Amino acid sequence: MRMVSLTVNGAAVSREVEDCMLLVEFLREELGLTGTHVGCDTTQCGCCVVHLDGVSAKSCTVLVLQAEGAEVTTIEGLARDGELHPLQRAFREHHGLQCGFCTPGQIMAGAELIETYPGRLDEHAVREEMEGNLCRCTGYHNIVKAILAAAEEMKPGMVSEQR
Amino acid sequence: MDVLKSLRAIGQPLRRKEDQRLITGRGRFTDDFSLAGQAWAVMLRSPHPHAAIRGIDGSAALAMPGVLGVFSGADALADGLGEIPHNPVPSTRFDVKLTGRGGTPVYIGEHLLLPVDRARYVGEPVAMVVAETRQLALTAAEAVMVDFEPLPWVAETAASAEPDAPRLWDALADNILVDATFGDVAGTDAAFGAAAHVVTMTARIGRVTGVPMEPRAAIGEFDAQTGRYTLYAGSGGAVRQKHELAKVLGVEPARVRVISHDVGGNFGTRNRAYVEFGLVMWASRRLGRPVKFRADRSESFLTDYQGRDLISEVSLALDAEGKFLALRASNLSNVGARCVSLSPLSKGSGLITGSYDIPVATLRSRATFSNTMPTQAYRSSGRPEVTFTIERLIDKAAHELGYDRLDLRRRNLIAPSQMPYTNAVGSQYDSGEYEKNMDRLLEIGDWAGIEARRREARSRGKLLGVGFANYVESSIGSPKERADVIVRQNTVEIVIGTQPAGQGHETSFAQVAADLLGVPFEQVNITLGDTDVVSAGGGTHSGRSMRHASTVIALAVSDLIDKAKVLAADAFHVAPQLVEFEEGVFGTPATNRSLDWFELAAQARAKDPAGLRVRRDNEMHTPVFPNGSCMCEIEIDPETGGLEIIRYSTVDDVGRCINPMIVHGQTHGGIAQGVGQALWESFVIDPDSGQPLAGSFTDYAMPRSDNLPSFNAEIAEVISPTNPFGIKAGGEGGTTPALAVIMSAVEDALAEYGPIDIDMPATPLKIWTAIQTAREAAEETAKSELVA
Repeated sequence: MRMVSLTVNGAAVSREVEDCMLLVEFLREELGLTGTHVGCDTTQCGCCVVHLDGVSAKSCTVLVLQAEGAEVTTIEGLARDGELHPLQRAFREHHGLQCGFCTPGQIMAGAELIETYPGRLDEHAVREEMEGNLCRCTGYHNIVKAILAAAEEMKPGMVSEQR
Repeated sequence: MDVLKSLRAIGQPLRRKEDQRLITGRGRFTDDFSLAGQAWAVMLRSPHPHAAIRGIDGSAALAMPGVLGVFSGADALADGLGEIPHNPVPSTRFDVKLTGRGGTPVYIGEHLLLPVDRARYVGEPVAMVVAETRQLALTAAEAVMVDFEPLPWVAETAASAEPDAPRLWDALADNILVDATFGDVAGTDAAFGAAAHVVTMTARIGRVTGVPMEPRAAIGEFDAQTGRYTLYAGSGGAVRQKHELAKVLGVEPARVRVISHDVGGNFGTRNRAYVEFGLVMWASRRLGRPVKFRADRSESFLTDYQGRDLISEVSLALDAEGKFLALRASNLSNVGARCVSLSPLSKGSGLITGSYDIPVATLRSRATFSNTMPTQAYRSSGRPEVTFTIERLIDKAAHELGYDRLDLRRRNLIAPSQMPYTNAVGSQYDSGEYEKNMDRLLEIGDWAGIEARRREARSRGKLLGVGFANYVESSIGSPKERADVIVRQNTVEIVIGTQPAGQGHETSFAQVAADLLGVPFEQVNITLGDTDVVSAGGGTHSGRSMRHASTVIALAVSDLIDKAKVLAADAFHVAPQLVEFEEGVFGTPATNRSLDWFELAAQARAKDPAGLRVRRDNEMHTPVFPNGSCMCEIEIDPETGGLEIIRYSTVDDVGRCINPMIVHGQTHGGIAQGVGQALWESFVIDPDSGQPLAGSFTDYAMPRSDNLPSFNAEIAEVISPTNPFGIKAGGEGGTTPALAVIMSAVEDALAEYGPIDIDMPATPLKIWTAIQTAREAAEETAKSELVA
């Protein structure tokens, strides 16, 4: 057991943890932040994506001890001052979710994509960039639409018409 | 019904009530629950496809720190736990009646929570270990010694059905549990005898698995004070789980509560009870504390109920003008180690003639046991299989006999004037405009522009292929549904026994109720999924929910209006028949007074705490037949066998569409699952060892965002005469034609190489190999011609 200290959704937290505890286990079981989901055990489905110092990370492949001192944002912390993030709104507006299980990971990965993508986004780029997030319900059609819509709202002119 | 004249919420793409919690991380999935003092259960699973269990020694595991118990099948039997009471033969009056040989009852094998005699598939749980943490339980499971004696096994479908195949169950002489013949045998023989042409093929629709993104999980809690069990477990219907698991536990259903809130995908995999659900409740009783189980992804791959796995041998008789005369089919379904559902075989059996007017047909339906995980209904149970078969057979007939593939279909489509149409195996199609679907599809998919696009693709070195398929499917499902409608202070609550896993019932059912009640959509709330609140209901499967829910809600609201009129009459001091109801307001010509739902409910509550509420049950057997047409365009790179889907268009007749946004979403997801099976997905079992080779997302190829296009989906609304709103069903129509349309496109793209026989999934390796083989054969022919 060791102490770990990090910032989660803006709040400092310290806990004594097992060395083998994964970041996702820490979030779900220690902090009760169950919006971050576990859909596989092999870092392939993307349900557990959180932002680790502003970068998308699959939290099932990070030991919580590796996050010592880091700033972690989960789906619960994405809305600010009661205002949904534009991508959260876009997922609802464009029906980018059905069962909702993969959705937190999709939104966290998509939000970082919009924030950090260097060029202009189009459907092709979104599909290529998001291939690490699996969804079994939507066929991706409306997820892609939602990400493009939020990108255009957040950064007008970021979305180009055609591939 | 008056409501149809003034629809406000119905038909609108209203945004979902479900979404707020799901986009903010406040969903309530099973694994999100943790109970105070809970222990963790882990399953010890068979590494053998078939093995006798000679003994289980848990003593070393029990001695490990934190281990609370090791439980075997013998322990469960000694505690009086029973079999899961599966009822695999579909039960409505309209389902095809499957039987064993000679009309005998179907033997389904026994499904104890843990087996006592043999393990019959890789992954079958043979013991449960419970410990303080999941990690400790996993470690302890490694220390449980099971004395397995490996037995001969069989997994492949055709091999399982052989008379001398290794046998799964001693109660049968072989593995065949269903063998039934339908249709007109003599008439079919006569039509084949008189036919100008006969075209034959064998279709193999392999095994896939549903892969809901949420791995299944369960928490069992036994309350010794009340003697009640509570189970947290996402499923396709909490009411069914409650009744079946009460039987397993040997208690009255009232002593079991099942809670199923948000469910992270189902697709059929969660409709039947899982042994782990019973095991965690039993372990909780034994240990006096809550017990939780969560499958990891590998366990989900191995032991979620699986899908498809059908072989169909089929022949079509045609006259000299291309008119279909008769169809003969023999379908063999692989149900796995025990039979939990015959829905796929049964549903398909009723639809073998597809969208076409084929006067006579004969079908032999068989099912076989094998040393594999049991199969279940999976995304459009049974329909993609038979649609694949008839549509590919028609493509083959067109090719062999020199017809245009669309023209041959048009010559044989069932006309609207023939509706309702009874097909050759007795299914009665309710309504549909099949050729109109086809015409509309060819327009939105720009069929006319294909040859130009083909040339353009060729200029880039790509082979363009176009696939086409029509489909008709059936939505039947569990016939009973119940709704409670309760008028609260400022909202109306509808309690209903369906169980969504993303289909948006909280939204679409509220749309229906809002229009019927004449209240705003925002004021209607839907309650689902806790059997202490939801007392009855058929769950969600087979596209039944919108149709059953809207019908029972309509009946319930009608009762509620009658009840409210009596209350209003009392308030107005007039006779109830003088009270009128319009747009949510009760009034009477006798006075200028009026009362709305909430005012009346307040008055009712003042007299009786139950207030203003009704409960209504409905039983509806009549099936509906959603239908449509589908085309896609692909490009193949002949040098790599790589394939890209360029366009994908569908027209789906769903009957009345309550929420087009939701229906489109269902269609998109359905397409992806169908395309997945055609191109990538396969639950491969190693033929030498019987070991499944798909245990993770590394070796089971899922549809991903970068290998699918956006879809061009259009809804057609031909109102069904079978239910008040004229609903058919949406969503499964995305999957149903997808297998056929993709393989049709692959064949079209490779037409220049001659007929190519590729089984699904059509992977780049298979396509590349087929091209190389054809090229080499062509070179050989050219050489020998040169020599000659």
